[in-house]
Amino acid sequence: MKFCTHSKIFSISLNMSETENNTTTPEDDQTEYVEDGKNKMTIKCQFCGSKILEKKTAKYIPQKKELPLMKQDVNRKEGEVQKEMLDGYYHVENMYIFENIGFTHQVESYKYLICADCDAGPVGYYDLDTKHSYVALSRVIHC
Amino acid sequence: MAKTYDYLFKLLLIGDSGVGKTSILFRFSEDAFNISFISTIGIDFKIRTIDLDGKKVKLQIWDTAGQERFRTITTAYYRGSMGIMLVYDVTNEKSFENIKNWIRNIEENASADVEKMILGNKCDLDAKRQVSKERGEQLAVEYQIKFVETSAKDSLNVEYAFYTLARDIKAKMEKKQEASNPPARSGAHQIKPNDPMRKPTSWLSRCSLL
Repeated sequence: MKFCTHSKIFSISLNMSETENNTTTPEDDQTEYVEDGKNKMTIKCQFCGSKILEKKTAKYIPQKKELPLMKQDVNRKEGEVQKEMLDGYYHVENMYIFENIGFTHQVESYKYLICADCDAGPVGYYDLDTKHSYVALSRVIHC
Repeated sequence: MAKTYDYLFKLLLIGDSGVGKTSILFRFSEDAFNISFISTIGIDFKIRTIDLDGKKVKLQIWDTAGQERFRTITTAYYRGSMGIMLVYDVTNEKSFENIKNWIRNIEENASADVEKMILGNKCDLDAKRQVSKERGEQLAVEYQIKFVETSAKDSLNVEYAFYTLARDIKAKMEKKQEASNPPARSGAHQIKPNDPMRKPTSWLSRCSLL
């Protein structure tokens, strides 16, 4: 797993090795992962390493979209879902392109995507209207 | 876009509620992220990719999502399924007896040539066991279905069961193809359906390929 990189960890280590005010923008590190508009590397679960997508099978899209947090605060209000805005997703047109993935039950017009091996998630969402799936770059690792 | 697999099999897990179907498919580990969010929504199905004798096989595996409480599963649910795992709990006699009812339900609703396998789950709970392994084997012989005891908790035989069922489906499909499509001359490419979920190509279009 030593070759795997997480986009957030990657940008932090880059910041530390360079000068304080030379921060990386999401565009900078996305080029590390994206080639010809597609994922340059294999996509895996950041917790258990289960393979989610083969390289060059998903299209990068620079969309901003909210996803529920993977770890919800135990003290949150009842029924509340804590979310965060994520920038940058892989677009997967056909669900059978995935190597290993789980789908939750429907919430509004989505099913959330989770790791097929350790059930960690959401790593993205499946849109029931278009039947397309979207994996957040920041919720997976690139190997 | 080029197809990324050779076969696609839809599989179902069927059996009484409480036999551990959900834990066979889903882990629901104790980590905070699962307890708080994913487990409250519940999981619908999973896609897994396995290698079977050099072929890339995609498995789409469905749990019965609580429908089993009605002791019957509708035709719609069975549609397109090529393999069924019949699950009982070795610590629950009733769930074992009900396997016969589930087989009847399958015969009435699923496609006639669906592959089946019987799983005696929770075999780690030996002290509470009500159904011996021998009785499971006898039932399997009676219906000519493969059988294995599993422990989802210890991940015992679960992967083996899915590989076995998938291998049997693949073998059946290849046999069918061979029957309707005599072996190609040496050096010729073997013809296979583009998409196993689609209706098989008619004999007419096959002839045109030869």
